[in-house]
Amino acid sequence: MSHQPCAIVGIGQTHHKSRRWDVSLGGLVREAARRALDDAEMDWDDIDAVVIGKAPDLFEGVMKPELYLTDALGATGKPMFRVHTAGSVGGTTGIVASHLVETGRHTRVLAVAYQKQSEGNAQFALGSGKGASLGAGGAFAPFMRSYIQRSGAPLDVGPMVAVKDRLNALKNPYAHLKLENISLETVKASPMMWDPVRYLESCPSSDGACAVVFTDEAGGKAAAAAGRQPAWVLASAVRSEPASFPGRDPVRPQGAIDCAAEIYATVGVSNPREQIDCAELYVPFSWYEPMWLEAHGIADEGAGWRMVESGATALDGDFPVNMSGGVLSSNPIGASGLLRFAEAALQVRGMAGEHQVDGAKVAMAQAYGASAQYFAMWIVANSLDPFGS
Amino acid sequence: MATHPPDDIAIIGWHVSPMIRRTELTEAQMLLEVVNGATAHAGITNADVDFTCAGSCDYVAGQAFSFVQNIDAFGAWPPKRDSHVEMDGAWALYEAWVRLLVGDLDVALVTGSGRSSTADPDIVYPMEMDPYYLAPLGVDAMSFAALQARVLLDGGVVTERQMAEIAARCRRDARANPHAQVAGDFDVDALLAEDYVREPLRRHDLPPITDGACAVVIARADKARELCENPVWIRGLSHCAEIHYAGLRDLRQAESITRAAKAAGVGDAPVEVAELQTAFTHEEPLVAAALGLGADVVVNPSGGPLAANPIMATGLVRIAEAARQIRDEGRHRTLAHSTSGPCLQQNLVCVLEGE
Amino acid sequence: MTTTRSVEATIRFPYKRSLGPVMGAFMTALTEQRFLGIRSGERVLCPPREWDPDTAADLSADDLVEVGPAGTVESWTWVSSPSAAHPLDHPFAFALIRLDGADTALLHAVDVASPDALSTGMRVAPRWKAERVGHITDVEAFVPGEVPQGGGGAGAEEPVTMMDYDAAITYTTPVTRNEMRAEAANAEGRFLGLECPACARVYLGGRGFCPIDALELGPEHEVELSQRGTITNYTIIEPVQYPGQTETEPFARVHVLLDGSDVILGYQPVVEFPVGDVRIGARVAAVWNDTKVASGGGIELDGWIPTGEPDDTDPNLVNRIC
Ligand SMILES: [Zn+2]
Repeated sequence: MSHQPCAIVGIGQTHHKSRRWDVSLGGLVREAARRALDDAEMDWDDIDAVVIGKAPDLFEGVMKPELYLTDALGATGKPMFRVHTAGSVGGTTGIVASHLVETGRHTRVLAVAYQKQSEGNAQFALGSGKGASLGAGGAFAPFMRSYIQRSGAPLDVGPMVAVKDRLNALKNPYAHLKLENISLETVKASPMMWDPVRYLESCPSSDGACAVVFTDEAGGKAAAAAGRQPAWVLASAVRSEPASFPGRDPVRPQGAIDCAAEIYATVGVSNPREQIDCAELYVPFSWYEPMWLEAHGIADEGAGWRMVESGATALDGDFPVNMSGGVLSSNPIGASGLLRFAEAALQVRGMAGEHQVDGAKVAMAQAYGASAQYFAMWIVANSLDPFGS
Repeated sequence: MATHPPDDIAIIGWHVSPMIRRTELTEAQMLLEVVNGATAHAGITNADVDFTCAGSCDYVAGQAFSFVQNIDAFGAWPPKRDSHVEMDGAWALYEAWVRLLVGDLDVALVTGSGRSSTADPDIVYPMEMDPYYLAPLGVDAMSFAALQARVLLDGGVVTERQMAEIAARCRRDARANPHAQVAGDFDVDALLAEDYVREPLRRHDLPPITDGACAVVIARADKARELCENPVWIRGLSHCAEIHYAGLRDLRQAESITRAAKAAGVGDAPVEVAELQTAFTHEEPLVAAALGLGADVVVNPSGGPLAANPIMATGLVRIAEAARQIRDEGRHRTLAHSTSGPCLQQNLVCVLEGE
Repeated sequence: MTTTRSVEATIRFPYKRSLGPVMGAFMTALTEQRFLGIRSGERVLCPPREWDPDTAADLSADDLVEVGPAGTVESWTWVSSPSAAHPLDHPFAFALIRLDGADTALLHAVDVASPDALSTGMRVAPRWKAERVGHITDVEAFVPGEVPQGGGGAGAEEPVTMMDYDAAITYTTPVTRNEMRAEAANAEGRFLGLECPACARVYLGGRGFCPIDALELGPEHEVELSQRGTITNYTIIEPVQYPGQTETEPFARVHVLLDGSDVILGYQPVVEFPVGDVRIGARVAAVWNDTKVASGGGIELDGWIPTGEPDDTDPNLVNRIC
């Protein structure tokens, strides 16, 4: 392979809220970008190219917003690129940016992903404004019912995930939901919105943005020498598959299995639970945590829920998942994928503050989209050779 | 035969759909035709494609997540490495090109597609303008083009007669293009006698409304050699944006085109043919000058966007046409240009070469 | 012989935009019949933004300065037939207008009787609306001359922080031949399937291709499908109220596996089937409604009604969801 190492040296995000009515669209993305640039000790003119990701333009009613945001993100006279791969788009945004560095096209690339759901109505936009839609919860509920039945998971597992992620969110200053009194009882007492999914087992609707600064090997090493730990992108992969056809299993999508297998193979991971220290997985509804643990080979098939039940995925467990509080705590849709990818990088940089996993050296992140059919994943580490091969 | 380093990437196949005012097909069906056409042209099957990247737009389709249905046209089973840009297919080609440069994959398939017929462009395109100061005024793409045309007319960069001559030349050349939607012989004086549609633009200065799609297959050097006797090499590929709000820009200039051209190495050797996404007549001299093209360069022999303008595919069609000039017309070095946004805000330049 | 047909649908979106400090101040000033620009270095930019467009450097509301109200036309175009999205309902001009004291141009409408009254370099002044809410259309249009027109009344009592934006786009989408054939079958109370010649998978009639083999399917691949099936999975939805939501009570959506096939119809409504009774394995039959207007290849079904047959007890049913 002809590519060069790529380092993450800057990460920024907004405070996520249901309504960021204090800022404009430009103000929102600049808030995240500015924090990432400050973290990287860079300014706008240090950046060579910008990659922007977000989910449907109908959510905010701005078509191809990369046009409007070009100068807001300092891309005047530079390449400005826009990706849209449904819910996985934030992940794809980071991956495309990393490829621009790995292939030597650019030395410093800014990736930005956002959604300002309060400008419109996501439920409404999902139906393309033409009438009622089931909402994402209604679309995914049958998949979760299938998982529950086939795995034999106790019904408390979903609520346990909901509690764990919200407890993690209390440690994350940027998280949207801050549910101080969250407990199994409050989750189980919350309304059944899309049977089998309860209100408190579902993601919120958020305004927010995330930004990541990527640079080359020299830039990463210079940051390290200056005492600013970089995160190295060791592997990334994407997969897509058609939404529906006889024989597709959306609970354990082949695309998810293949995507995970590719990043493990690239890095030389044979036992992800042992070799990877923590993961940020796109879990918009509680049951997706055990589902993804299995589909990504972190748990054996049918055993993902046991990891949840045993506390293995808690912040102090042996395989923490969604240390940031995850999508269940903050969901600016287009940004949610990049937030997962950025949190994995924060962890291996040792910069995750109160939600830091002690000694995290290798982390994985995943984002998925549409009818559980678009996947983006990566593995980041605190060195280029974390396993000392 | 020249040897090519493994990181050289070539176009090895393409397919352009019929270009028509109103299709009866879904976007996925249009894609099905060009995907299968392009893989056949490249002498491969879907299974040989390592990466797919599509360019399309929800607001053209009138539906959120519209591209998700289009994946059905790619035969993405087993699941494919795949991406989608909410940009013209020319930028999808850019992403695919970068993806192949990473080095682990050999063949990529790129598409651009759109059904512009489904809604009134005057209502759709204000949605891509500044959401606070422009969209609420309903300022459409045609009005922006007209404002830039007047600046160029006032500045002596172009005359209305030259604009009519460009329209007549493009539509005349389009007669030889089986994909052209608007083609024929037009008298310049008669064109100039027509009323303005959006002064200073007349009907002939405007592109048609077109439904269409395009697919292009690219491959890394070794694979391209293996699959193809006469690959069309991508010599340079770059893109660049400028300020969105036209009132903040000098509309006599197109600096982002010049920057992209420089990065793509346009000036490194003479270009014989340029396929430009100049959907409005007055844009042609501006874009040609910004690219640094000499008077001897043949511009838009296909008729360009004035002959067929399938939004979200128009730029990728330029790349396919520039490749065709090398493969079928014996040219050695050609150029394709794509653009997006009001008054040529964002531009991509692709330089192609034969052996 | 099939004739082509289209379905028309209007997407109507009400958006609410937060303006941030700089645009908020600009919009507030509009209610006071004043224009604000923003100083960036040597230049004054109008309309103002929170960043310098060349360098992306932060600009703050402290840098706002008053400009205009009159200005000079730098370019114009004549809109002889306005669209529904345009600010005026009679022919007008769009123009780039450099307001006095600004170094950049504001885009707005100019209201004159004919294009003969327009020229580059002409002087224009705003005609204010009587009712101003803090929106770019508080200026109805610019008019020739130096003196602002219209207006009156007071400015906003509170600073403007939000703006409304309503978009309505009508899409006319063709109904494909396969969709029309599927509809025709539905109208006769039949389900049409299409069997892929390569992989033998069967798809519901309107689809038109196999996504696995990327193969076009047509009339020659048609097969008849049963109108009876088994519920394999379901969800009960507590309706969230939003514009366009038509449900008010909890409602079921079920996946139905059609008898004798692999065809699953997802997220189907049910008929005369109480929410509490909906279950996996229940046997159901299609209920047609010939009064429903075709929505573009969609199934003209009221939904699925219990047949009263014994349930299917296959434990694997729950996994049949695609
Ligand atoms: Zn098939």
